[in-house]
Amino acid sequence: MASWKNHVRARLQQRDQTEKLPYLGVFTSLSQLEERFEIRQQFLDDVQSKSLEIGGFEVGRNIRLLQLQLRESEHLEEKLSQTVSDLTTVLYLKEAELQHWQSRVSRYRQEALTLAKGSNTLKATLSEFEFTAECQSKELAALRAEQKALHEALAQALREKEELLQRWLQEKSEEADRLNKHNEIQQRWQRLAKELKKHFHREMRKECVPIVTSSWSGETEAPTSVIQRIKNTTDIHQGRSDHNHVSAVAEV
Amino acid sequence: MADDKDVLRDVWFGRIPTCFTLNQDEVTEREAEPYYLLLPRVSYLTLVTDKVKKHFHKVMRAEDVEEMWFEYEGTPLKWHNPIGLLFDFHASNSVLPWSITVHFKNFPDRDLLHCPSNSVIEAHFMSGIKEADALKHKSQVVNDMQKKDHKQLWMGLQNDKFDQFWAINRKLMEYPTEEGGFRYIPFRIYQTTSDRPFIQKLFRPVSPEGSVHTLCDLLKEMYPVALPSDGEPKRYQVVIHGIEPLLETPLQWLSEHLSHPDNFLHICVLPVPSD
Repeated sequence: MASWKNHVRARLQQRDQTEKLPYLGVFTSLSQLEERFEIRQQFLDDVQSKSLEIGGFEVGRNIRLLQLQLRESEHLEEKLSQTVSDLTTVLYLKEAELQHWQSRVSRYRQEALTLAKGSNTLKATLSEFEFTAECQSKELAALRAEQKALHEALAQALREKEELLQRWLQEKSEEADRLNKHNEIQQRWQRLAKELKKHFHREMRKECVPIVTSSWSGETEAPTSVIQRIKNTTDIHQGRSDHNHVSAVAEV
Repeated sequence: MADDKDVLRDVWFGRIPTCFTLNQDEVTEREAEPYYLLLPRVSYLTLVTDKVKKHFHKVMRAEDVEEMWFEYEGTPLKWHNPIGLLFDFHASNSVLPWSITVHFKNFPDRDLLHCPSNSVIEAHFMSGIKEADALKHKSQVVNDMQKKDHKQLWMGLQNDKFDQFWAINRKLMEYPTEEGGFRYIPFRIYQTTSDRPFIQKLFRPVSPEGSVHTLCDLLKEMYPVALPSDGEPKRYQVVIHGIEPLLETPLQWLSEHLSHPDNFLHICVLPVPSD
């Protein structure tokens, strides 16, 4: 118990030791004696006035005493019945108080049961949530691992793509070089062919007569076919060279 | 809790041995013997002095008898204050039994209220209870009570029936657990050094921060002079029901256990006796 509470109790008892207990006995006795004296006085007055009417000294005295005792007994009975009545009232009060406390106990018990049920439900819900949380945490971990692997794969793919792009650009660059070289060769070849053609025509003009003569003898076929072949070949190369040049430029 | 109930019993059954003496100026047919009575601390003078009146009426002529009133060492005793408070305030350091002078003449109208019958005491007592409940529960508890409950409180006091009184009074002492106490503590501080009858203000049992207020906190706010200063001898006694509770006693507990039946905590601040 708290010290301040002990202090109050101790001081109240100390107060009663000083103020109440030394006087209680004597004051109570005095009060009882005064009450008894008053009652006796009153009864005696009543009895004396009645006994005077009856007459006879000795008989009257005995009757007076008996009547006094009777009245005192009646008074005591009244007081006792009052005490019984008071005690009954207290009993009823105590019973009512008991019922009140019992009803409170029962109400609290009911509340405790309801709270216990609520607590159990909450515990079950909590464990369900814990299980769900655990599952979700595992799923999250798996998804994170998967995400990490995918990130790595993506990074690898990006790297590969970059590499391929570099390679493709290099290839294209080389292809363009090759094409350009080829075109250059073609141009050179055409120029040479042209020069050769010119040269051939000049030679042909110089040798025109003998050739015409010989053509009569059926040998003109051969030179015509050679010139034609060179011309055709030049045309073919010319066409292909143009086509390749355009596509190479377009691709680059 | 059993110990707390013992405190309630000790408070209820506190008694003061008293010797009533008839004032010498009263006209009597023969010499009046003093009358001795153990007065309940929690009751009212005019409620428990029927026997005193009857005792002195025996020696007086009916025509010389007016309204009875009491005086201690020249000071008229206010019957509307509980007996214990009157004793602590006027005579706590005097010799026992407490010597009260009884008067039947020259009623001091300026100092005392008239008390022609017990119904006046009942009305005063019930108004105290209602005022206290207005402070404690915004009057909700006392208004929810039935007329018979009010009557039971009064009859419990009148007939000195502790169980009868507390069967109802406990309802007035309940409070919501989460609030930690009453709304306000019904208290009155009586001081000898002022003409002011008492100090009564609003004071909560718990601070806004949630700490419990003590008797010290109350005095610090209402009457700081009553608190002892560091290094100085104690100048004042703080007395409730004839005892000095420790200043660290929680005010809520004091209100529940050391209140008078009118539900007020009557606190006396008295100068420390010099001898």
